Amino acid sequence: MRRNNAARRTILLAAALALAAAGCSSSSSSSSSGATGSTPAAGSSSSAGAATVDTSSCGSKPGVKATGTPIPLGAIATNQPGTSFTDIPNMAKAYFDCVNANGGVNGHPIKLYIATEQTNPAQIAADAKQLVQTDKVVGIVGNTSIIECSINSSYWQKLGFYVIDSGIAPECYSTPNSAAVNMGPRYSSDGAVQYALAQHVSKVVFDQANVPGTGYIAAGPNALAKAANVPIVDLTENVPITDANSVAIKEVNDAGPNGAVILNFTPPQALVILQAAQKLGLEDRVKLWGCSTPCNTDFLAQSLGPKWNGKLFVNAELAPPDDTNTTSMNLYKAILKQYGSSVQGGIGSFSQMGFTEAEIAVHALQSITGPYTVQSVNAAFKAVKDFDTGQLCQLWTYGDYPLHIPNNSDWTVTPKDGKMTTAQGCTLISKVDPQIAQYRNAAGTAANAPTGS
Amino acid sequence: MRATLERASPARIARRPTRPQLIKGGVTAVLLLFAFFALPELLSLYYVDTMTQVAVYSIVTLALGLLVGRVGLYSLGQAAVLAIGAWAAARLLFATTQPYPLVLLEAGLITMLAGLLIGLPALRLRGLYLALITLMLAGSITVVLATVNFPNGGHGFLGYNGGLLHIPPIRRPSIAASDPAYFRYSMVVAVLMFALVLAHIKTRPGRAWAAIRQSEPAALAAGINIWFYKLWAFALASFITGVAGGVLAGAIHYLYSINFPTQDSITLLAVTLMGGVFSLWGAVVAALLYQFLPALLNNWGVSADWLIILFGVGVLQVLTTAPAGLADQVPRDLARLGRFLGRRLRRRPGGDAE
Amino acid sequence: MPPWVDFEPFIVSGLALGGVYALSGVGLVVLYRATGVLYLAFGAVGALGALIAWSLITRAGAPGWAGWLACVAVAGAVTLAYGLLFGPALARRDPLIKAVATIGLTLILYGVMDLLWTTSGGQARSLTLPTDNGGFTVAQIQVTWTQVIALAAGVVLTVGTGAFLRLTKLGTAMRAMANDRDITATLGVPVRKVEAAAWLGCGILGGIAGLLLADLVALDATTLTFLVISSLAAVLIARLRSITVTFVAAIVIGLLHDLLTPIASLTSYRDMTPFVIAAIGLLVLSRHQVMTQSREEA
Repeated sequence: MRRNNAARRTILLAAALALAAAGCSSSSSSSSSGATGSTPAAGSSSSAGAATVDTSSCGSKPGVKATGTPIPLGAIATNQPGTSFTDIPNMAKAYFDCVNANGGVNGHPIKLYIATEQTNPAQIAADAKQLVQTDKVVGIVGNTSIIECSINSSYWQKLGFYVIDSGIAPECYSTPNSAAVNMGPRYSSDGAVQYALAQHVSKVVFDQANVPGTGYIAAGPNALAKAANVPIVDLTENVPITDANSVAIKEVNDAGPNGAVILNFTPPQALVILQAAQKLGLEDRVKLWGCSTPCNTDFLAQSLGPKWNGKLFVNAELAPPDDTNTTSMNLYKAILKQYGSSVQGGIGSFSQMGFTEAEIAVHALQSITGPYTVQSVNAAFKAVKDFDTGQLCQLWTYGDYPLHIPNNSDWTVTPKDGKMTTAQGCTLISKVDPQIAQYRNAAGTAANAPTGS
Repeated sequence: MRATLERASPARIARRPTRPQLIKGGVTAVLLLFAFFALPELLSLYYVDTMTQVAVYSIVTLALGLLVGRVGLYSLGQAAVLAIGAWAAARLLFATTQPYPLVLLEAGLITMLAGLLIGLPALRLRGLYLALITLMLAGSITVVLATVNFPNGGHGFLGYNGGLLHIPPIRRPSIAASDPAYFRYSMVVAVLMFALVLAHIKTRPGRAWAAIRQSEPAALAAGINIWFYKLWAFALASFITGVAGGVLAGAIHYLYSINFPTQDSITLLAVTLMGGVFSLWGAVVAALLYQFLPALLNNWGVSADWLIILFGVGVLQVLTTAPAGLADQVPRDLARLGRFLGRRLRRRPGGDAE
Repeated sequence: MPPWVDFEPFIVSGLALGGVYALSGVGLVVLYRATGVLYLAFGAVGALGALIAWSLITRAGAPGWAGWLACVAVAGAVTLAYGLLFGPALARRDPLIKAVATIGLTLILYGVMDLLWTTSGGQARSLTLPTDNGGFTVAQIQVTWTQVIALAAGVVLTVGTGAFLRLTKLGTAMRAMANDRDITATLGVPVRKVEAAAWLGCGILGGIAGLLLADLVALDATTLTFLVISSLAAVLIARLRSITVTFVAAIVIGLLHDLLTPIASLTSYRDMTPFVIAAIGLLVLSRHQVMTQSREEA
């Protein structure tokens, strides 16, 4: 009896392992084919361009491998079923790999320690301590987590770390020790609502996922709508959504025929709502649909289909990859292709954020003359001023301010035949949002005029 | 007549500890002292934080093991009970300046009340129905929590302010502000909860529970008030889980409703079964599986999915072959291995076989 | 309280949601009647099939029908394997233990699915069936043929399997086995074959339900695996016995859930509907007697 059960167990385990082994190889190959396959038109033109771009321009000494003592940096990213932000630090690592193969930072390679978490506060706090005490990192670059900024901001402040991250939680934008390359859910939703208000809608329905921070996020759109004298309805949905039909009907009913429905969800949840609206035949029952930055992926554009062309307006925190043909964008695509095998989402805002954060970090590190310590590295991060990342509307500044919202101007894109195309160029987020006003006062508005197109 | 019965009662007879029991007690004491004094010094802060979580969840798995193993009540809602305890503790910690032990006690009592309210009507159900209704109740509490949220320093009964730019952390006791100190604090609380449960098991409630688990009709015939003792088990399990919630609130400083999904209750049952529901050490093993193993794998860069698969395999294994779980199986397997090796070593010096 | 006309579209969507719950719920009760096991892995097995179908259709370019066939086949195979491996070992145990064992299978499948089909940022999978493209309009909203099929499948399952279990020889054999395996074996029923047929049928049902649910709800491992928890509400109200009561209860739960949507004070709590109804229903049903799931009930 016991032998039979042991055999049973072994069979089970072996089956699971075999499935996993088969799946691992197939899923990685399928996702990479998906990455290039998902942007067919853009892929053929810009990847052809990327193929001729020499990635060695990422470093200072092309072709020379860096062999000095490594500079340890750290990143914490959420990775759980349904939400994975690992693409961002993975792309930063790809950039660092390129730099390391082309001279490093004054001959020193950069080593990025990536800690993943499952939105567990104990684990997130423990990850930070692991990075600092065990891995002995001297800087934090690439943090992307639903709640990390809230959990660790006092820890980073105590140790003097000035974090470069892709923010989500309020503390990523409201504390002195965090500066993000993206706009985060609140200011990105501001951008989407702002675009809708500019189209003269008579009512706004703002619907978001019920994850931490909904009140903080909704405060921005509410301020904008109030200033424009447009009524706004705030809704939240528990995720994952099991009944998208009722959500879509409710949103459309509340918005009315001259209203706008603005969503703030992760791509899979936004897709489920929009597809339900389409199946119910509701997509034309409001004036326009809007979405914060997470919707800005070609995956979504493809899955939605042509009925949404020019009907959905997505706030884009970073330059649209398919519409931008600059050196920086081509370098990004080339590094992604050559070094970014662990980046599963391919071309899109997640890998763009990773690229931008790594860019800024390397630029700062290259200015350091002495040893690379916590003090010197974080002083260099803080000193970054008016840096042209090539991925944002504005020049990027860290600075010594009580809060940081360095990316506060955005594009608006709309799906068109399976790709996201630009609908509106760089537009500043309105200072009607009190946080934006506070930041611009602290940082001086002259530095924030958009330079992108 | 009565005096004779009392003299012959099992309680009197079992009071003299036997040699294996003394050894076991000694080993336990040594391990506890080692964990208390040496562990925080030896481990990095990452693992000290992890061990604090192990201490917290060992109380939760203890409660679940009590219900499942001692009384035969399968609860699929333990994560929701923990959430209630954490909620109560967080509200009190933000709203009052009461000392920490008092807050823990109050959180435990509030959770116990909630447990009794649920247990009272639910005890008319048995077996699968009881398990499923606990799952339904856990689902309800999860949805309520998603809307009501955990207190974060705001005002009103719910104490939640959704628009905060800086969320204040939940405070810790002044003697245990640092992570190593808080680990020791949580260990002390855990040991106290284990002692409380042990005291129950060794005295009348424990015997009543054992009788009920063996056969309810027989227990009824023996004059045991089944309802009362089942309710007592519910109350005790809810109380200690509530206290664990209070310790959790101080440990992680920030509570979010997304950290208590319904699935967690299912995983908790899985690890409790794997650890072993018939021994107190099983609860510790279950907590190690639930918190230490993920932290280890996270550190090594292995996906947490492998653990979920392991737990699934573990549940099947426990239910089909090893009902007493790892806490029972591993020592027996080790003993068997030891005997096997002993026999092998004794054969070798002889050269030829026996 | 919003005006009546606001509720009308929610009646339609509520019926659709009820159809979703009914599909899972009726499936669970049918399986319980046929095998004696509350197959909590029903959702997970359907999700696995749906994800495999998606991979075949979108990644390997296979035609739609091949993907769906693969989905049903995989779901059937996994369930059959589980039934043959663990059915006999647990046959004499309490229904509670058998249900908890299926939790083990659920966890294994869930872990495997998340490993193989990772959710990396930006990736959103969806499965569409050709019946999505047609439909008719009721109360100003469109109803797709897929939703009609789901509801119809629930009805067919209810009527068909009820009759099958009661009237056919194989069905009676399945019910007998679910009741007491040993006695059935002594009566000369080929238990292994009947058992295999029951489990295979279960798995195929799970695969079909998985396809429909992946289209109607979402193609997401977490959502589909744990959707079964909400469907349990209808199953519980029927006390795991009556397939018809399960179906009706599921429709009522779906209707109530969606009808709460326009009511502002209750809308954020509407996801509680299945749980609250189940809890109230069970407590009401048990007020005069102790409810126990003994082996004599089938």
